[in-house]
Amino acid sequence: MLLVSWSAFVLAPQLQLGGAKQVPVLNSTEVYPHTRPGEANQGLQVYRANGCAACHTEQVQQDGVACDVVLASAGKNPDAVSNLLATLTLRGLSQEAAQAVSDKITAAGGKVETHIVAVGPDIARGWGLRHSVAEDFLYDNLVQFGSLRIGPDLAGVGSRLPDANWQLLHLYAPQSVVKGSLMPPFRYLFTTRKIGAAPSPDALNLPKEFAPADGYEVVPKPEAKELVAYLLNLHADVPLYDAPFTPVVVAKP
Amino acid sequence: MSEPAPSTPAGAELVSDRSQSPMWIFVLTLTLLYLGAVYFDRHSGWFDKDVYSPYANAAMLESYQPKSGAAMAAAQGRRVYEQVCGLCHGADGLGKPGQAPALAGSEWVIAAGHNRLAHIPLLGINGQISVAGKGWNLGMAAMGASLSDSDLAAVLTYIRTSWGNQAGEVTADDIKNIRAGLGGHLQPMSSDQLLAMPE
Ligand code: HEC
Ligand code: HEC
Repeated sequence: MLLVSWSAFVLAPQLQLGGAKQVPVLNSTEVYPHTRPGEANQGLQVYRANGCAACHTEQVQQDGVACDVVLASAGKNPDAVSNLLATLTLRGLSQEAAQAVSDKITAAGGKVETHIVAVGPDIARGWGLRHSVAEDFLYDNLVQFGSLRIGPDLAGVGSRLPDANWQLLHLYAPQSVVKGSLMPPFRYLFTTRKIGAAPSPDALNLPKEFAPADGYEVVPKPEAKELVAYLLNLHADVPLYDAPFTPVVVAKP
Repeated sequence: MSEPAPSTPAGAELVSDRSQSPMWIFVLTLTLLYLGAVYFDRHSGWFDKDVYSPYANAAMLESYQPKSGAAMAAAQGRRVYEQVCGLCHGADGLGKPGQAPALAGSEWVIAAGHNRLAHIPLLGINGQISVAGKGWNLGMAAMGASLSDSDLAAVLTYIRTSWGNQAGEVTADDIKNIRAGLGGHLQPMSSDQLLAMPE
């Protein structure tokens, strides 16, 4: 009996996923994931040591998958197409419904594309574009799944909040950037010291309320920089074969 | 006080009879097993390591792979740009002083045709070049060998349509034709050579 369950719960998954490798990103020559650069890898240990996983998860859930029909071009008869569009539901469709809608628009002379989108509460909160999959954790030594969500999921925080300064301010004084934040400050990852000959380029640019006394500055310790490197390296939102979606590039201004 | 339970009549012997378990238990068990097997077959993905819920099986997962189209091409173009060109030309396409000229607003990028433009990454470019009224004299290595037709087409489309640039799309077939037309030419182009060829 023990052997059977050991085979089913330890041996079989090991055979299946033990040899997991990088996988191609959909429609791209790139592979995923990349090994973490050294500093970010150190940051994982800082994350672990500070118990961030007690309040944050790194696993996005997905309930379902849907199709969005997007107009690519209105064709020769834009008025007819836009009148038709006003009468149709274009988002959150099943595959069959999306096909039917595309056919109608194509018949009216428009050109459409069908986008695949993941759906679920986590996706709606903006925590990711798809569910987390095994590949996301390939290079994590001690995976930081977490189980309690006092704060938001961080699986894609590097894409959501890519500004290193914001992250440093948030660690030093969460309330300086998020009003009423319940996250505890991690001040011991920073040093407050007397300004020397010239202010350090690393010094935090804190709002008055949180700033140290005149003549002093707050600079991040190496651990804080490593932790931020790790956070900015969390990008579990590329499309993969086992977690497909249509990436949509928002035109840059 | 409740009545004592009636005991076996004195003298009667206790015999275990051979009454059968009721038939419905078997039917119910088998039906449940059958339904379970059907559910398993439909939803387990047969232990395929790529199939997780909400995908029930490999065929469903396959059917939800996004089809190529403008959105996919744009994503591909951005990825190639950020990996290859962005280091020099900047993620914002504004170029970097002393390193590379801007692509945003560059007449080379937003030209009506894409023939000259495609030659730049295919063969590289060397020497004096004027970009949006500013003179440059640097060099950019050829990247034609390491970029597939579809990657190059996607990245050129991306730079032609980003940061306020509004020019036409470049297709993989366009690149294929231009590549075929290179013949044995492998030297980096100069600005004059480029200007001598059709837009
Ligand atoms: C006591 C629970 C708690 C702990 C421990 C904690 N956090 Fe938080 N965290 C929160 C809460 C609540 C928020 C939401 C409010 C905010 O943004 O400040 C948050 C927000 C964040 C955000 C912003 C996410 C977003 O999408 O807005 C980041 C990044 C973050 N935390 C990182 C960390 C790191 C790194 C650690 C470990 C050093 C950590 N947190 C430890 C509770 C916690
Ligand atoms: C190693 C740095 C580098 C990389 C990588 C690079 N370029 Fe360039 N690029 C340059 C430089 C330098 C010039 C100016 C050359 C000169 O002065 O003759 C230039 C010029 C250009 C020009 C013409 C001038 C302009 O700004 O419009 C285009 C178009 C161009 N590059 C496109 C690309 C594309 C597309 C890629 C990616 C496939 C790319 N470059 C990658 C350095 C680079």
